[in-house]
Amino acid sequence: MHSAYIKFSNQGALMAPLKPAQQLILLLLAEEPTYGVALLERIDERSGGELRLNAGSLYRMLAALVEDGFVEAIEAPRREGAGAPRKSYGATPVGKRALLAESRRQEAILDAVRALGLSEPGS
Amino acid sequence: MTPPPRWFRLLLRLYPKAHREDYGDEILEAAEHQRRQRGIGPMGTVRAVWDIAGGAPGVWIDTMRRGGGMGTTRGWGLDARFVLRSLWGSRGYVATAVVVLACAVAANASVFSYVRGTLLPDVPYSNPDEVLLVWGSNVTEGQLRDVVSGPNFLDLRERSTTLSSVAALHSDAAYLMVDGRPVVLDAQEVSVEFFDVLGVDAHRGRLFEEEDRMSGNGAPVVITHAFWHDHLGGREDVVGLPLDFETDPRTIIGVLPPDFEFIAPAPLFLPAHDDQLAAYARSNIHWNIVARLAPSASLEAANRELAEIMTEISREWAMYEGWTFFAEPLHDITVAAVRPVILALTGTVLLVLLVALVNLATLFRVRAFARGPELGVRSALGAGTASLTRVLLMETVGIAVVGATLGLVATPFILDRVAALVPAWVAIPDSAARVPILSAQLDPAVALTSIGIAVIGSILLSWPTLRSALSGTSLGVRRGGHEGIRGTRLLVGVEVAAATALCIGAGLMLRSTHQLLTTDVGIEAEGLLTMMVGDVWGLDAEGRTAYFEEVVARVEQLPGVESAGMMGYVDFQAEDDYARVYFLDRELQPVRDIREEWRRVDAGLFASVGMRIASGRTFDPDDFQGTPRSAIVNQAFATKHYPDGDAVGQLVSTHNARYRDLRIIGVSVDVRTRGPASVAPPMLYVPLQGDPRGTQGLHVRVQGEPMAFAESVRDAVWSVDPSQPIHWVSPMTQWVSMWVAVPRTARALVSSLAGLAGVLATIGIFGVVAYTVRTRRKEFGVRLALGASPRRLERDQLHAIGPIIVLGLAAGTVIGIAGASAARALLHQVEPTDPLTLGVALTVMGAASLCASLLPARRAGRIDPVEVIHR
Repeated sequence: MHSAYIKFSNQGALMAPLKPAQQLILLLLAEEPTYGVALLERIDERSGGELRLNAGSLYRMLAALVEDGFVEAIEAPRREGAGAPRKSYGATPVGKRALLAESRRQEAILDAVRALGLSEPGS
Repeated sequence: MTPPPRWFRLLLRLYPKAHREDYGDEILEAAEHQRRQRGIGPMGTVRAVWDIAGGAPGVWIDTMRRGGGMGTTRGWGLDARFVLRSLWGSRGYVATAVVVLACAVAANASVFSYVRGTLLPDVPYSNPDEVLLVWGSNVTEGQLRDVVSGPNFLDLRERSTTLSSVAALHSDAAYLMVDGRPVVLDAQEVSVEFFDVLGVDAHRGRLFEEEDRMSGNGAPVVITHAFWHDHLGGREDVVGLPLDFETDPRTIIGVLPPDFEFIAPAPLFLPAHDDQLAAYARSNIHWNIVARLAPSASLEAANRELAEIMTEISREWAMYEGWTFFAEPLHDITVAAVRPVILALTGTVLLVLLVALVNLATLFRVRAFARGPELGVRSALGAGTASLTRVLLMETVGIAVVGATLGLVATPFILDRVAALVPAWVAIPDSAARVPILSAQLDPAVALTSIGIAVIGSILLSWPTLRSALSGTSLGVRRGGHEGIRGTRLLVGVEVAAATALCIGAGLMLRSTHQLLTTDVGIEAEGLLTMMVGDVWGLDAEGRTAYFEEVVARVEQLPGVESAGMMGYVDFQAEDDYARVYFLDRELQPVRDIREEWRRVDAGLFASVGMRIASGRTFDPDDFQGTPRSAIVNQAFATKHYPDGDAVGQLVSTHNARYRDLRIIGVSVDVRTRGPASVAPPMLYVPLQGDPRGTQGLHVRVQGEPMAFAESVRDAVWSVDPSQPIHWVSPMTQWVSMWVAVPRTARALVSSLAGLAGVLATIGIFGVVAYTVRTRRKEFGVRLALGASPRRLERDQLHAIGPIIVLGLAAGTVIGIAGASAARALLHQVEPTDPLTLGVALTVMGAASLCASLLPARRAGRIDPVEVIHR
């Protein structure tokens, strides 16, 4: 079980497991490319209010995911009368693979826990 | 959507530039969106600030971690290895920087630990600011802080409304019988309110309460936590345990908490009952008063009321005309005794710190210049800004941490050395009281602050180097090197000024302490052993006299003892003894009276302590037969009361019926009983046999080291009566040195720190001139090739640095004189503008600066033009 925490290789890059917030962002962006403000609202909604990010921290994570090649910025066409062009973000193929790998890693942990015979209270 | 407030944009400055450019607008938009959802109130704005700025630290960490485009851990590891290799390659630079920092940190940590630990200890009382000492004071009689009589204390306690509680206390000795021999312990007799005033609760049992107010209700004693542990083994059944006192058995009723401390420390506290206090004569003053200010009262109101109370007392008791009560915070008094030292030390150590930091700044500049090409190569090979920043930061912080740690390791040794210099007590000015000096330990807060200052200071000082690296070009560093010469020379000026000021301060302290230590205190303290002997208050005057005469006779028979003498006290112990002195006319009628100090002495005292007679004669054996008829006064007494110089032959009486109609037979030289810097009090000496005190100060003049005779003298005293207590066995020099402890400590510390600053400044000047020569090697090479003489180049270097050094010396002189004027209280018979001191200090610093500039300047002339131009 411990091996699940050892860093694994993806496309030659050394990676640590994704953090829960990063995983959620990657999941949401894999579902549908979106821009920052909407992403904040969706994070709030999907985490049931459990995860509240401030704007600064959201863009810190987005920047890190972009740097790792997991997320790409898409320049949206400028709308008439609008201000600066709005960027939306979407998961790259590498990002989707990382999401899958992370989910498998968690699945492996879940399997190992189930093998211990532990069950949810009341189930 | 309306745009967010414009100042929000300023918050984006907290992010690295690249991140700001990529995401700044979006962060603002998202933050504004969140703000509008939550509501635009003051709280909404605060949250928005957090929304915008909250990500900045993380982004910086990410940037650093990703520096150079490498993976996280590997990047740090590689850089760390690079830093270690690079530092190993410049061991001289590293060693110098580490030593400079270690010196600065050790100096700071020692001085501030000393100040915090010994001079400004935390007071273990509740609301310590409300705790006051109350004094009796008579300015015209020169009594600024005097003790109070028992009945006056009771009146004061009863009438005061501005003091919530008032207590009397008196230092005493308790004689505990151990194996049939009396062991003397310091004890405090305190009125029942004492622990209330300090706000202290019992650790075990109880402290004094209402039932202890009157005598006859048992003989209780309260002990300190240390006494309980050290002498009673911390036994559980301590409350109710009897203590075998010489005169009466007492019962322990309580133990004080471990952190209990008072300015007059003693292991035992005995109750001073109200009926005993009331039984003292109105004129018999020996109680210290400690009080707590009522919550609603101010110190001024309390002092007004205290003065009124004394006025009322003096209406009833004429002897208190001209007297007043006044109160001052306990903490102020103890701090006042050491404030000049605190000032001098703080000023000194800050100057040392300045010199050390300037040295570091110079070192970092030199380093930046030396590394310019290397950083350029690294940058060209693809090392990012973040990686370069990381490397330089690692270097600086590493040096700072190692230097600070070394400094802190050295601190306990320095504190030990300081502790060895300082006696256990310092005296409170203008009073017969003294304050214990606690031993200092490295204070954790001071240690942390020192490391913080070292790290932050180093980062700030290396900022120009970092900035050059951040700009991403080696050219910046090169340019900085050349432009920096002027700035660096300015730093030399600062360094010379600080070191000169310290040299002047140290010189003045040395002169002043020399004056103090060579001041004639009026006796020959060397070779004199002193101790307090006996507890024979129960005997009549003849019995007491006989006992003390026998003790002196036995002691004088010891080999190596030249002479011995008795006096009611040992001078310089911060004890005093007063008499009411009546001046008589030819018909033996008193014409006026005054309160003056007096001493009851035996036939051998004057010879034993080495007191000289200025006019008239000394006591002869006849003066010690029968009722005393003669007296000797000191010069201060003679000058004060007989300004025409006709003291010898005059008649005086005292309040004591056994000392009436005394003829003054001689005038002795003054004894500065409160230290070399004090003015000798007027003093009346009378023969002891009239009414000797029950405890006497034994003075033994010996051939050799006084303490080597302690054992044999003690045995001789006990050979007369083994049940008599002996305490405070000490060479006289130690009592005298108690009064010069503060200036001596200050001298030692300021001189060491000034020496350190001088060395650091010299290193700094050397470094700057060497740096200048190094940066201009090419130019010098060309000039030499074009025919300039090596001597000319050397001279140019000296001309460039000379004016800065002269300016530094001048500024340092001004700062030194100003600092010495501020700490004038530490100077004894030396003016801050003492020409000799200024001359020596300026010569030393000028010569050191000249040597430090000359050596590297000579290198300019020895440059090989061919080699330099070729490179």
